[in-house]
Amino acid sequence: MSKISFPYPFPEHLSIIVPEMFIAVMAMTVLLWSLFLPKEKNYIAAWMAASACAAAIPLLLSQAGAIGLTTFYGFFILDAFAVYAKLILLLTSIFAIVMSIDFMKKEANAGEYYAMILFAVLGMMFMISAANLVMMYLSMELMALSVYVLVAYQREVVRSSEAALKYFILGSLASGIMLYGMSFLYGVTGQFDFQAIGIALQGVGHNGHLAVMVGMLFVIVGLAFKLSAAPFHMWTPDAYEGAPTPVTAFMSVAPKIAAFALFIRFLVEALPAVQHEYIPILTGLALLTMAVGNIAAIAQRNIKRMLAYSTIGHVGFALLGLIAANADGYAGVLTYLTIYLFMNMGIFAIIILMRGKDGFKGELIDDYAGMSQKRPIYALAMALLLLSLAGIPFLGGFWAKYAVFIAAIEAGHVVLALIALLFSVVGAFYYLRIIKYIYFDQPRGEFEISDNSTMQVIVTVCTIMVVVLGLFPGPLMELCHQALIGLV
Amino acid sequence: MVPLSHYLLIGAALFSIGIVGLFLNRKNVITILMCIELILLAVNINFVAFSHFLNDLGGQIFVFFVLTIAASEVAVGLAILMAFYRLRRSINVEDLNTLQG
Repeated sequence: MSKISFPYPFPEHLSIIVPEMFIAVMAMTVLLWSLFLPKEKNYIAAWMAASACAAAIPLLLSQAGAIGLTTFYGFFILDAFAVYAKLILLLTSIFAIVMSIDFMKKEANAGEYYAMILFAVLGMMFMISAANLVMMYLSMELMALSVYVLVAYQREVVRSSEAALKYFILGSLASGIMLYGMSFLYGVTGQFDFQAIGIALQGVGHNGHLAVMVGMLFVIVGLAFKLSAAPFHMWTPDAYEGAPTPVTAFMSVAPKIAAFALFIRFLVEALPAVQHEYIPILTGLALLTMAVGNIAAIAQRNIKRMLAYSTIGHVGFALLGLIAANADGYAGVLTYLTIYLFMNMGIFAIIILMRGKDGFKGELIDDYAGMSQKRPIYALAMALLLLSLAGIPFLGGFWAKYAVFIAAIEAGHVVLALIALLFSVVGAFYYLRIIKYIYFDQPRGEFEISDNSTMQVIVTVCTIMVVVLGLFPGPLMELCHQALIGLV
Repeated sequence: MVPLSHYLLIGAALFSIGIVGLFLNRKNVITILMCIELILLAVNINFVAFSHFLNDLGGQIFVFFVLTIAASEVAVGLAILMAFYRLRRSINVEDLNTLQG
């Protein structure tokens, strides 16, 4: 910080930030242009937003030659890890935006909705590339504020506003706690840069130990909140249930990708000196998260609420990769997130399709009774996706769990991996229960699935990816390992 | 000269008041927003104190970022609260009960 002279020199390597700039410009363009769009042409704003995300992918890949560079005085870093995480993030966003088209068809001001998604994506891209506490805080807030608004989007629905209010209160509290932790990390080291903090922490003596512990603990709490790790998960079921379903789909995957990426970078670069202290904390978090996620899901009647607990459970499993704290573990987390993206997006696409004329059908698990008799193809897709979430072998979800479990065992956390295995069996129960409803129960009323071809494409792509990744997981795992070169 | 620990104690006290107020408060959401502000201001005191004693401007610059974000956070929070009030005609914490679990 002190080395920067005024007036500031023009930042070097500005080109590595081009994908973010593009998303920012497109978000504002969508916002402005949608003012001139009539309500029935909402879908144009959606396709603009989706194509913005799609076009950001080649822009991102074109920066592959700039791997390892930083810009804005070291605030922003582009490495293979960031490129990979942003790729799956953009893919998630495209899915979520396309899923929203049908949902937002009748809403006024849909342009604001898509612009908010793009701003959230922008925040998450910055989170993935953040190499500095300032950047970390600002990008997390950009994401969080956009997502609060997205959750509250259905202004005429009480549940939506209430969910947003709860999410907002707990989210602001978490960012306050994280900031308090950051202030201590800064106070001890005098640095904001992750790597500089990492180096300075190695030289901290006995006097600064307490402050380092407080700082580390509080920052981990803030990140655990974004990941919805127990005991900081209280907002998750409410926010997931109250939010519009495409938003639930979006926020069940995209912020998790960004938060895991930021978490990994923070642990690897800023906290290697206190690894022995943070691993027990993460172990406690992971155990509690797996327990809460997998046990509480059993009691749920609302499928969005159940999937919220399912997300919590999966976050708990993925935390094992962080506990392993080596390249295998982090690669396992990336593999997990990639496969989880397809599983969750596919499930949510089917839930959105189930939404009939009254708007709330398909939210209760009972609504799926007898689906196989009326819509056998959707039933098959849903069954495959649920089996994959449950971690049945030779579907994608199995390899996701395999990658992190093996990493944890090899790092010496055998008991933890065994407990995780146990919880994964418990978790299989509530996924299989939905399959029972779909295949072995009688239909309780008409099925009015709002067929449309874009949703069919999403369901098909997700299901095929889950099956293909289940049969040939090798290339993906190899890719995730490649992505970590340079970071670990 | 006031030692660093005094500033940190004030910061810790304000932070704790904010957290306790947030959880004890059963009346209305505005108080919660005030508690969140209190937490962020406690953080600012910490940053300014550290910045002064470390002789490093970075902490004070960060405070401006925090203030800006705090303002936008309250703007979003109040907007959500308005939307909620229009539907429920109440800003009581106890009326946040449609979603159970």
